[in-house]
Amino acid sequence: MKTSNSITKKDLRKMFWRSLPMEFSWHYERQMHMGFEFMIEPALRKIYEGQPEKYKDALTRNLEFFNCTPHIAPFVGGITIAMEEMNAQQEDFDTASINAVKAALMGPLSGIGDSIMLGTLRVLAVGVGTSLAVQGNILGPILFLLIFNIPAFILRYVCSIKGYELGVNYLEKIQQSGLMSKFMLAASMLGVMVIGGMTNELVSVTTPLTIGGGENAPLLQDVINGIMPGLLPLCATGIYYYFLKKKVNVILLIVITAIFGIVCAQFGILG
Amino acid sequence: MEALLLALVAFIGKCDLATGTNMIQRPIVLGPIVGLILGDLEMGITIGATLELAFLGSVSVGAFIPPNVIVGGVLGTAFAIVTGKGPEVAFTMAFPIALLALAIDNVIFSLVRPLMAKLADNYAAKGNGKAVSVIHMCTGFITCTVLAIITFLGFSLGSAQMEAIVNAIPEVITNGLTIATGLLPGIGFAMLLQMIMNKKVIPHFFLGFLLSAYLGIPVVGIALFGIVLIFLSIKFTKDETQVQEVAVDEDF
Repeated sequence: MKTSNSITKKDLRKMFWRSLPMEFSWHYERQMHMGFEFMIEPALRKIYEGQPEKYKDALTRNLEFFNCTPHIAPFVGGITIAMEEMNAQQEDFDTASINAVKAALMGPLSGIGDSIMLGTLRVLAVGVGTSLAVQGNILGPILFLLIFNIPAFILRYVCSIKGYELGVNYLEKIQQSGLMSKFMLAASMLGVMVIGGMTNELVSVTTPLTIGGGENAPLLQDVINGIMPGLLPLCATGIYYYFLKKKVNVILLIVITAIFGIVCAQFGILG
Repeated sequence: MEALLLALVAFIGKCDLATGTNMIQRPIVLGPIVGLILGDLEMGITIGATLELAFLGSVSVGAFIPPNVIVGGVLGTAFAIVTGKGPEVAFTMAFPIALLALAIDNVIFSLVRPLMAKLADNYAAKGNGKAVSVIHMCTGFITCTVLAIITFLGFSLGSAQMEAIVNAIPEVITNGLTIATGLLPGIGFAMLLQMIMNKKVIPHFFLGFLLSAYLGIPVVGIALFGIVLIFLSIKFTKDETQVQEVAVDEDF
């Protein structure tokens, strides 16, 4: 199973350091995808040494949408590396499962991560920090940074090492028992379910239109919510999906979206 | 000179995102540094704390981009110290500036960076991973530079002019971009779906969506439901002996 390309602890430590700028190039469309690629790129290069075609595919594949609490993102990175490694050693590996696993992990991990890092740790740090800083005490900002960052860095390091170990152990077991195809199906089920949930949560579009005129005209949005909340985000995602299937250029879609937004704001159709 | 140093503070503040999202961009940290530059450290600390509490909700969760606390925090603190008005006016200055900087952020996040990403796609397709890494870092540093320039100009112009500029941007443009930023994650999800969607799992997409839309179940809950559903619908059996062990392993 193991070949000379196997990932070592040193590579994982490198991934830890390279996970630091995770949010540095964040944008609305694919969010942390370049940060993710930046994190695992050296590992990918090592894994696919002598397999340039597979390496190209892996680079493209890992530039898909990614968003996660940055401090625990290396966990997903480790599991991804474990799967990529398996793909390098086998001809019939279903690469779609890599993105499915990523999609299945990023949502729940962000939910947990955001509540730990931003909901708990940051609030604690702000509480202690500001209570001192309000009096002009320089210890305030210093404690603020320490309270947040010591646990944050420990967590990030543990995630960097454990994600890969977990990936390798479980993947091998699944492989040996011949359950790989079922595992792939399970991963894609979970992946699309989570994306379904995120579509409703993160794509936001509402309309201020009213039905008919007059003071008490019913809001169209209320009517829509009565039928199906989140109908508009679902339609928007569906329309994007349709255009992407038709091979419409992504840049064009983004520019059209910006113009569409301004037009809708002008006429008060959305907002 | 002071304007240049403040620009540098904003630059370093934005580098927060290059050094592991460790909160150096927050007003409580940048405030004291601004205070040090303008010769009143203690006031900087106090104003930093005030702004920190005021901007408590301005933190990026999920795909939400808050008002820009870096430019808002640095200039708000600076104007409050320079005018000698103290913490009380810091927020009234900082908030509109943070909103203005947010509008610029939104242009970068919704137009400039996706274009950089497209460039990264091209290099990835050619197998040039190092170029992708360079683009990633450049994309970040360009934003740092933009924020530094805004801070520099903002401080040089002074507080009165800043307010006038903030008010001069047509509302239609800012509102329109806000609408667009709500829609754009849809493109990301659609791309992701294209890669992993197959006929067998179409219902699962809608199940996930409906659980969220009608029942308001958060993503963590949906994932847990998904895991249960997987065990209900897929039989992880090959030979009887291994069932238990593998089944447990499934839910990482």
